[in-house]
Amino acid sequence: MALLTRRFTMATTAALAVSAALPSRAPAQIGVQCERNAPEVYAITNARIVPVSGAVIERGTIVIRNGVITAVGASAAVPADARSIDGAGLTVYPGFIDAYGSLGIPSAAAPAAGGGRGAGAPTTAPAGPQLSTAPNSLHPAGQQPEILAVDLLKADAEAMAGPESAGLTAALTAPSSGIFMGRSAVINLAGATTQEMLIKSPVAMHIGFSAARGGGYPNSLMGVFAALRQMLLDAQHYGELDAAYAKNPRGMRRPENDPSLAALQPVLARQMPVIMLASTQREIERALDLAKEFNIRPIIAGGGEAYLVADRLKAEGVPVLLSVNFPKRPTNAAPDADPEPLRVLRERAEAPKNPAKLAQAGVKFAFESGGISNWADFNTNIASAVTSGLTADQALRALTITPAELFGVSDRLGTIEVGKIANLTISRGDVFAGGRVTKLFIDGKPVEARAPVTANAPSMAAGTWTLTVTLDIGEKPITVALIEEGDRIRGTLQGALGSAQISDGSVSAAGELRFTVSITLPSATEEATFAGQINGNAVRGTVQIVGHPPGSFVGTRPAAEGAQGQQGGRRRPPQR
Amino acid sequence: MKISLLAACALAVPATIVAQQATPSRAMTARPAAAPTLIKNATVLTVTKGRFENTDILIQNGKIAQIGKNLTAPAGAQVIDATGKYVMPGIIDPHSHSMSDAVNEGSLSVTSMVRIADVLNPTAINIYRELAGGVTTINVLHGSANTIGGQNATVKLKYGRPVQEMLFAGAPPGIKFALGENVTQKNRSNVVIPGQPSPPRRYPTSRMGQEEVLRDAFTRARDYRTGWEEYRAKVAKGEKALVAPRRDLELEPLVEVMEGKRLVHAHSYRSDEMLMLLNLAKEFGFKVATLQHGLDGYKIASEIAQAGTGLSSFADDWSYKIEAYDAIPYNVAILLRHGVVATINSDSDERARRLNIDAAKLVRYGGLTDDEALKTITYNGALQLGVADKVGSLEVGKDADLAIWSGDPLSVYSSAETTFIEGEIYFDKKRDLDMREKMAKERAALEQAERGPRPTRATQIPNEDDK
Repeated sequence: MALLTRRFTMATTAALAVSAALPSRAPAQIGVQCERNAPEVYAITNARIVPVSGAVIERGTIVIRNGVITAVGASAAVPADARSIDGAGLTVYPGFIDAYGSLGIPSAAAPAAGGGRGAGAPTTAPAGPQLSTAPNSLHPAGQQPEILAVDLLKADAEAMAGPESAGLTAALTAPSSGIFMGRSAVINLAGATTQEMLIKSPVAMHIGFSAARGGGYPNSLMGVFAALRQMLLDAQHYGELDAAYAKNPRGMRRPENDPSLAALQPVLARQMPVIMLASTQREIERALDLAKEFNIRPIIAGGGEAYLVADRLKAEGVPVLLSVNFPKRPTNAAPDADPEPLRVLRERAEAPKNPAKLAQAGVKFAFESGGISNWADFNTNIASAVTSGLTADQALRALTITPAELFGVSDRLGTIEVGKIANLTISRGDVFAGGRVTKLFIDGKPVEARAPVTANAPSMAAGTWTLTVTLDIGEKPITVALIEEGDRIRGTLQGALGSAQISDGSVSAAGELRFTVSITLPSATEEATFAGQINGNAVRGTVQIVGHPPGSFVGTRPAAEGAQGQQGGRRRPPQR
Repeated sequence: MKISLLAACALAVPATIVAQQATPSRAMTARPAAAPTLIKNATVLTVTKGRFENTDILIQNGKIAQIGKNLTAPAGAQVIDATGKYVMPGIIDPHSHSMSDAVNEGSLSVTSMVRIADVLNPTAINIYRELAGGVTTINVLHGSANTIGGQNATVKLKYGRPVQEMLFAGAPPGIKFALGENVTQKNRSNVVIPGQPSPPRRYPTSRMGQEEVLRDAFTRARDYRTGWEEYRAKVAKGEKALVAPRRDLELEPLVEVMEGKRLVHAHSYRSDEMLMLLNLAKEFGFKVATLQHGLDGYKIASEIAQAGTGLSSFADDWSYKIEAYDAIPYNVAILLRHGVVATINSDSDERARRLNIDAAKLVRYGGLTDDEALKTITYNGALQLGVADKVGSLEVGKDADLAIWSGDPLSVYSSAETTFIEGEIYFDKKRDLDMREKMAKERAALEQAERGPRPTRATQIPNEDDK
């Protein structure tokens, strides 16, 4: 609450900062001097208002003063000092919330100097995506629950243009890698400073199940589970020691202060939910099993196959942050490519039906962007969920009040009600039926939604790669289909080394690719670790297999699937 | 290469298709026991109690209820005419890496804290293929990268059911150890590939080092156990305000090993390293359950027998590395003759489907009887995994884990036709054929919904990079 009050007093001074730092985004055609003194009052009139908290107002007015909604209704009066916006033909929704992502956190958040005790360990590791590290942590990077998203935030208006084009006004944002990834924050997507963006921190603990890169422990999924288990047990033990010492320190050795284990105490006390990245049925089941084992409060993020676990999610009261980054049909298979497995066809067919099935089963869910690269897909995919049986109201709730409730900010966000933060998403036409987001209000300030990015943002690793693997048993042709989600990679391997799903996949911004997969050799089934460098549409690297000499691989992918004519494999900023 | 690839696809596709069938139906709900089944007029290979011609088997409540002639089917039973066919116990594969989403936690040389059970995939296609080879139980082991690897999982291949149902209820827990070249990473070359840093050598890099790693780990485990014993003694004495010692997931399983509660399955090749481990186990007061691979086992058969240790080997796979050069096809037969409980394993998703042929090789080379050979892929595996009271032979009261074979399973011309686990059919050749047709239709419909087969490169507008 303190945050909120402070933000109000800052509002007018901040307005200057906004106009200075972000000239293109400040209310247009108003000079700096006027801006400084202008009251932040707006009235949207004659608009169709969907407040979510109540019935739709077919023609009404919303008044915003100093960042807060002060009046809503068919006959709400327009104050004399308000800048009036004619909303005829427009629909106003509560500001959409991205229920999970890393918005506002630069993709290569630089690690703090002198990381943790284990942070410097494997020096020869191929550098993966940078893991954030907390100062003076006793635990290695990737296992530092004390990390706070808010400490990694950067106010970057350009980075928000994509999400804003999809109507997003606020987001849950969390560090993007690690096992214990850190703690998230709810932020507004506009603001001159990170503190101005901040709504609530910390919100939830995040667990990512992704193994350490470069050979340090743990480097496999089972090691990840062991590490999680040991750390949660250690946190329990830490809590017991702390309590005993607090009760009577005399004669007892002072327990070591451990910020990581301290950060886990609210998790063990069930005060803080744990958001667990899990997409497939078995990933979700494993996450739920772990949550049960330690009696923590899970929220599943991703949830691609959540409909297969709907009964259990409902029975255990576990909400889902459902990725709307639905799988896409690859457009550019090689003419002699194997047919896609039926599982993949089904995955694509089922994705839009998933939300309706969860709604029907009574599972609480919110929509998250899931590392979507093309923001135009955000509402298109939700619209396809609506045509697959989800009601528009259910879809809207999953973008507004449900995430607000899940993150404990429903007193501030999620509906159009008097007293709430003035976050509004305004569209021409029904946004779930082809309508276009035209304008947003974030923290009571207008933001123009620019045309959504239509071209596919280039992806570093996604696509179907044709690889030749050279091992001690000879050259083996394989096909590797990769799906990119932020810096994570999912996918399958097919061909002369069997068929298997890829695990622990990652790709860095510089194109360093790494994944582990079970391969079938004449002698045995072995685990192979592929590590390579993507350069445009070519890749080469090494294959490590226990008990075998190291191999190598080279390969390509069809040009149109990935980086189009890029040099050096660098990720381009999203086009707009 | 092209041709063999196509052939591989032709084999793989139907099974892949079937794999997906089970996925959507997987539910957490417990299911009622399967209806009773009466298998009529088969040649029954009990493996432990001899061979019976023209004999019936009645399955009820997931168990073998009766074996005999002219049994009557209870009401509601499905009756299968197995005239001319053979029934044998479900095959047990004591060394598998199937259905595991991870094989090695290769970072450290002691990873007793990791658990295969955490990463099992209940819809892995290899489960289905192994069922088609008459396999019903597998021992999913951690890989051999570490001196002390992870905890294994004994699994019944209830394909598509939740993992919790597949874990063999009542099977003693176990752990993988490994000795020799895989641990020293002797076969990992030190060639530096430009742009790729070569991984540092990891301790231990010799067999001496492996012994030290083991002794160190068990010494730490002994101290850990002492710490807990002291704590429990204080609690028993009524001391108040005590904080329990830290739980250590690395050492807990090793304490269980010393207490005889956890089976050690030790990957090993050479007789010297096997003897080292047997001596070290004696020093720390535990028994090694099995030596895995153990290609040199025949050289020290009496010592292995005396230690009460089992051995699980290959029928005829050898010479793939230095430590595998002394292998002979008589290894398992010699071990059996010396009283060692010996088995054949696959260590391969592919070979796991034809363990019956590996058993037949022991008849050909080792001079074993049919029953002795069959035991190496059934009953002896059950003994090694501590589940011989439930599976491994056809006996009244045991789990109805069995397969109907088209002919004698020791013949290359025979194949498994129907595979049961606890009385429920998990593979059936005829059902499989029906399913293929259904799935072909589904595929066609799904592709149609996406407007035809996926566009290929040739149909695209040429891209600059294609030039």
